[in-house]
Amino acid sequence: MNPGWILPLVLLLPALLAGAALVAPTRRAALRLVAWGTLLCAAAAVAAASLALHRSGELTSLGAWLMVDALSAYHLLVMAAVFTLSGAYAHGYFREDAESGEMSLPTARRFAALWFSSMASMHLVLVSNNLGLMWVGIEATTLVTAFLICIHGTPTSLEAMWKYLLMCSVGVALAFMGTLLVAASTHGSGVEGASALLWTELRDAATRLDPKLLKIGFLFLVVGYGTKAGLAPMHNWLPDAHSQAPAPVSAIFSGFLLNAALYCILRTLPLVEALPGNAGWGREILVAFGLISVLVAAVFIIAQHDVKRLLAYSSVEHLGIVALGVGLGGLGHVAALFHILNNSVSKSVGFFCAGSIGHLAGTHDMRRINRVTALSRVWGVGLTGSLLAIIGAAPFALFLSEFLILYAAIQQGHTFIAAIFLAGLALVFVGALRHLISITWEPLTEPVETHRGTLLEHALVFVPLTALLVLGVWVPAPFWSLLERAARVLGGAS
Amino acid sequence: MTLPVDTILVLVILTGFLILGTVRLHTAIRLCAIQGVAIGLLPVAAAGEGTSLRVVLLGLFIIALKGVAFPRLLRRAIRESATSGEMQPYVGSTASIVVGILALIAAFWIDSRLSFLPDTHSLVAPVAFFTIIVGLFLIVARKLAITQVIGYLILENGIYVFGLAIALEVPVIVELGVLLDMFVAVFVMGIAIFRINREFNHMDSDQLRNLKG
Amino acid sequence: MNALRFLPLVSGLVLAPFLLGVVNRVKASFAGRTGQPLLQAYFDLAKLLRKGAVYSRTTTWVFRAGPVVGLAAVLTALMLLPAGRHAPAAWSFTGDLFLLAYCLGLVRFLTVLAALDTGSAFEGMGASREVQFSALAEPALLVSLAALARLTGGLGLTDITAGLDAASWEAAGPALALVALALGVVFLAENSRIPVDDPNTHLELTMIHEVMILDHSGPDLAFILYGAALKFWILGALIVNVGISWIGGPAAVSLPAFFAGMLLVAVGVGVVESVMARFRLLKVPRMLWVGVALSVLAFTLVGRFTA
Repeated sequence: MNPGWILPLVLLLPALLAGAALVAPTRRAALRLVAWGTLLCAAAAVAAASLALHRSGELTSLGAWLMVDALSAYHLLVMAAVFTLSGAYAHGYFREDAESGEMSLPTARRFAALWFSSMASMHLVLVSNNLGLMWVGIEATTLVTAFLICIHGTPTSLEAMWKYLLMCSVGVALAFMGTLLVAASTHGSGVEGASALLWTELRDAATRLDPKLLKIGFLFLVVGYGTKAGLAPMHNWLPDAHSQAPAPVSAIFSGFLLNAALYCILRTLPLVEALPGNAGWGREILVAFGLISVLVAAVFIIAQHDVKRLLAYSSVEHLGIVALGVGLGGLGHVAALFHILNNSVSKSVGFFCAGSIGHLAGTHDMRRINRVTALSRVWGVGLTGSLLAIIGAAPFALFLSEFLILYAAIQQGHTFIAAIFLAGLALVFVGALRHLISITWEPLTEPVETHRGTLLEHALVFVPLTALLVLGVWVPAPFWSLLERAARVLGGAS
Repeated sequence: MTLPVDTILVLVILTGFLILGTVRLHTAIRLCAIQGVAIGLLPVAAAGEGTSLRVVLLGLFIIALKGVAFPRLLRRAIRESATSGEMQPYVGSTASIVVGILALIAAFWIDSRLSFLPDTHSLVAPVAFFTIIVGLFLIVARKLAITQVIGYLILENGIYVFGLAIALEVPVIVELGVLLDMFVAVFVMGIAIFRINREFNHMDSDQLRNLKG
Repeated sequence: MNALRFLPLVSGLVLAPFLLGVVNRVKASFAGRTGQPLLQAYFDLAKLLRKGAVYSRTTTWVFRAGPVVGLAAVLTALMLLPAGRHAPAAWSFTGDLFLLAYCLGLVRFLTVLAALDTGSAFEGMGASREVQFSALAEPALLVSLAALARLTGGLGLTDITAGLDAASWEAAGPALALVALALGVVFLAENSRIPVDDPNTHLELTMIHEVMILDHSGPDLAFILYGAALKFWILGALIVNVGISWIGGPAAVSLPAFFAGMLLVAVGVGVVESVMARFRLLKVPRMLWVGVALSVLAFTLVGRFTA
């Protein structure tokens, strides 16, 4: 039996759950559905990914319209991890609101439905082999997640939502132009008609594609999807949306939405790289965007006081690091893919802790939050730990992946790039550490009641952080080979 | 085959100019609808003798969407919000027309520099570039949230024309997906405007600037 | 052919004031009045020519030279004008379209000078507006003519008019339509018609052209009025020449078509003036910019169509 049947299932399952969420009988049922349903969808995604990984080639379905190879399988796994954590956290985060009546039944239903729709659309991005369908998926994530930002309906969240909606719609519209140009580049290459947008077809015909059209198309794609991925200087919407959204939503934004958009750029990179005589052209563009993002984010992180905005700018930085790593190629590809996982996991935990601490302290202003560990043992330690991880402190895995990217730059003789990258990292490290010290060790002005976390909350914080610690000192061989397989899709194996 | 296509394309440019020049929201919406209808007729006119059912249906769908549904939605948004019906531009309408002239020249210049398009009609690409520039300009140069939606629509029109310029065979399902996405996008923006309006009692995106840094 | 050579000049000289009568009649019938006689403009001119002129003590020779040189310039422009494909202009050479544009510019320049010469603030204001608007109308006129020149490959008005035919409409129809529109905008602005200016006002602070000629009297005023009628004829003929170019056939068809077209222009102006209000002064530059935009668009389009 062809195992390709699982791919439509990966799409269908969250879509069905979204429909089910609309008729959830109670608020608690809707929230419970979010937690368990997410787990179910994640399980399906993991199953699809492992089925694909056990084959030598790609797993295809529906006449090659859907496809999972090592790169998308890896992204599916990261996404499954982020969503499982966030779904479980969302359940706890909104439960209080639901019980106090602050969240009405329609709001809870809408939240659950939008949650699963965003999952479905991100799955669509990852499993589609058709660049047009991929675009549809990205556009759908914009539309679905817009309302997740303003689930509370406060004026500032509406403002953030409008900014997000408009900027990303325009960006994604430009990406559509890029997609059209890529399709147009197939003229006279033997790829005809309906298959002109199929990635596998394009890859096989890559050397025959029209270089000029493909390059212009790639530029549009980088700018368009880059807007959605939060690459500077198209990142303006990102800190607003991330800081105004409820914490679980911020977690999936930073944890995976940005990666989904970046994934689309990664998909087209090998096509451009395969053009005869153009090796390195597309990667240089990514290096440039990556460095700009790191530097811009570093400057804003230093001046930042809102903990969620700090995390948001950190996402700009880390997406920049991923772009940089991919741009460097070779070892950089592997390291960048590794960094995707590290960033997604640590950022999700960071947003969980920041959201809950904000709940307890009543503010997100780091100047008014002191001694977080006294506020809550679990969230406080989690916030400190995740912030340490995010700024790249050893021995967290982010340190390792950042170090590998730096190593790749030096190895290839790009000393200048390495220097700028290091300067950006240092700025972020110092800037964020300053805030970290103040919120963790400043003495409390008045005594507070310490929040005692549940077992689930402990698990949500400490399992991912431990995993990051372990990955930082010891990378299991199967995981490393998975990274290498995914990197080979990008066009470079080390 | 060229005369009807040319006429439609010129109409697209003219509506672009007039939208830049108008200060009244209702006029802008009407012009946007006219442009949408013109865009819908374009593939039918381009196909000429070889019109297939698919092309006609697509054209009808676009006309229904851009010529009827969107304008109705936007008008409703205006009606339900206490707006004065003026665009409230950052860049005045006369200056906007000058920008339009520059955009037109830029569009033809870009086209002549690129000259990459495979044997298609010579006017389509520059018109697409012009429309895209106008759309982007409207988004940044007008205050009201609703005019930004109009700008977005114009931008989409431009990209659609561009799609015709490179004359490729996009699979129907992708085409429909794109159109559907666009429809939902405008719909979502419409809802967003309602909610912003309810919360702020106006839809001036100029006031949406509390979030900084 | 030779017999037709002076037809455009002579017919312009004779018929120009008649068109003003037509405009007034149309407006009158829209308002439900009988209106002036069709030949009223001729009576006015005759009356003014019989009278003496009054000159203010503050004026100099510039004020007196204005109307005379202005009329001479308009007459020069009229000589360059063909009437349809089969009636070439009395005088034509390569590049005469620039002479036409600058003759019209000279008229305006002298009117403005004469107005400034009176030293009246009122007339100075009109002069300033006139200059502002014509600064926008002139590029539109020149670019439109350039678009026609680019399309037909001729640099003279007669060559251009002879070069336009049904085939050029087929090849560049939208561009020609845009040229006609742009010329229409120029026509309204240069002739001070509604919606740019109201030729009937004499008291409002908003008028442009009329205010500049307030101090002229007698034969001077007659020259100015006759010059204005000729300008109306010239700019109208430019539009008509483009508009009727799709009609084929011999001179027996194209000449009546030309005169019918001129009549239509006059009727059209009358209708526009009856149904529209004058624009706010701030809106006029916008309309003129649209005219410029149309002509630029036509020019670029012609490049595309002929390429």
